[in-house]
Amino acid sequence: MSKTQKSTLMAIFRYVILIGLGLLVVVPILWMVSTAFKGEAQTYSPTPVWIPDPVSMDSFRKFFGIYNFGRMTVNSFVTCLGSMIICVAFSCLAAYGVTRFKFKGKKQFMNFLLMTQMFPSVMLVVPFYAVLTKVRLTNNLLGLIIVYAATNVAFSTWMMTSYFRTIPVDLDEAARIDGATNFQIFWKVVLPLTIPGIAAVAIYVLLNGWNEYMYSSVLINKDAYKTLTVGIVALNSQNQVHWNDMMAASSVSCLPLIILFLFGQKYFIAGMTGGAVKN
Amino acid sequence: MSTDAVSIGTGRKKNHDNAGYAFVSPAALAMILLIIYPMAYGFYISFFNTNLVNKWNFVGFKYYLQAFTEPDFYQSLIRTFIFMFFVVAGHFFLGFLLSNLLNKKFFGRTFFRVIFTLPWLFPETVIALLFTWIMNPMYGILNAILKSLGLISSNIGWLGSGTRAFPAVIFVCIWKGYPLVMTMLLSGMQSIPADLYEAAELDGATKWKQFLHVTIPGLRPVLNTTLILDSVWWFKQYTLVYTMTGGGPGKTTDLISLSIYGTAFNDFRFGKAAAWGIIVFIICYLISKIYGVVLKDE
Repeated sequence: MSKTQKSTLMAIFRYVILIGLGLLVVVPILWMVSTAFKGEAQTYSPTPVWIPDPVSMDSFRKFFGIYNFGRMTVNSFVTCLGSMIICVAFSCLAAYGVTRFKFKGKKQFMNFLLMTQMFPSVMLVVPFYAVLTKVRLTNNLLGLIIVYAATNVAFSTWMMTSYFRTIPVDLDEAARIDGATNFQIFWKVVLPLTIPGIAAVAIYVLLNGWNEYMYSSVLINKDAYKTLTVGIVALNSQNQVHWNDMMAASSVSCLPLIILFLFGQKYFIAGMTGGAVKN
Repeated sequence: MSTDAVSIGTGRKKNHDNAGYAFVSPAALAMILLIIYPMAYGFYISFFNTNLVNKWNFVGFKYYLQAFTEPDFYQSLIRTFIFMFFVVAGHFFLGFLLSNLLNKKFFGRTFFRVIFTLPWLFPETVIALLFTWIMNPMYGILNAILKSLGLISSNIGWLGSGTRAFPAVIFVCIWKGYPLVMTMLLSGMQSIPADLYEAAELDGATKWKQFLHVTIPGLRPVLNTTLILDSVWWFKQYTLVYTMTGGGPGKTTDLISLSIYGTAFNDFRFGKAAAWGIIVFIICYLISKIYGVVLKDE
């Protein structure tokens, strides 16, 4: 077999695998979208219907109507943004401290950041529940913001540290000679250079917050403060499951992340890979 | 990872310490208050038979010792290890396969990269509900597809069966989690200098040899971190499995996180749940240490 034949064969092989596995990813997603546009009766068709006929928008109307998911979407947004701001601020400061200064306990601090990933979240939920009840922050978005920030701040700091490490310290030195204080150097010199790192951390925290279920389901039980994931899962426990409504709500809840992904693909990848690759 | 600092000036050591502490303190305080304190609180209540309200009976190490004789606990633990093994193996199999295929230039590469990243963007709850619907015994598309391919003759209840629910849940967890591994490996591969491959090619190394002797060593740091995080994260998995099966049928998909959750919030045995949680933490910590040792020695 000649070299060109071999590489043609390889190319065919590649496409066969990619398309085969790609279908495994795409078919479930298309089925979700297809179900979302069906009327109730069509979801119970004995033979699968891929293209709804007629196309029904009822499930999407119900999303904002009787299910009140509009409110829950806002709650999800608020908690995500709140925890993101806290995480970005704290992790930037900490990353600057860790990469620019020598201090006792730094090594332990860095080790601890990774160790937090070993804590079972189901283990933290009991103490969170007890503590937040004591300070009257259950059924409160602020309580949820604090919990999300707490559970994400360690890994955010870890990611941010590896980004700060790539910024040369010579820049700090130059500014220091000009008489800048530590905070001025941080704020005016280093921080503007770490925007991609900030974007990655922001996306990481937003994604985790948007997808979080356990804490939210335990800490919030009033409808007015529920987040979207909890609302959608609740559809599954009703006596009769309306699959079209559930798939419509699911589709809508995925949209913000997909839009975010299309705009910030590069940062998304950086957010996913965290600090692992650069070290 | 290294934590070496860049030392600026030498005469102002004390000052230097303080500035470092000042910058780290918001994050450190947040973690002390909201991670260490709750963990310590959990450790504390693990010594009590308590419902957190009006019952606080000190029991010492009872729950820790009990855990090893209580089938509920150790069976759930074994189940979780098997679950973790298959899920992580699946992630790495797909991760290696796809990152290798996508690490070359070809028509449609970006398109496929986006497609294969999609599962990562979907909330676990949504994926769980979607696959519950797909695997629905009466109207699910999975049975319809398998029937049209002639692979099965009658409808199968995937999640309602004691023998099929566990593999079905593992499949969905692989589906959800492989993009992270794929992307990690892909980024790692792209950081390996191309001239290493050229040199290997000049020496007459086959593609497989190149993979073994250039790619794998170049990926070591990424592999290490990814393997640890992926294992630990999926060992603690709760949401996806809970939403799909609630641990059932029977206890066939009852992972350790679900057991702990049920012990705490259904049985209100918070002390016992806390003790189990501490054991899980220790196991996760050991997993990371064992990987660290194994991967370093090679």
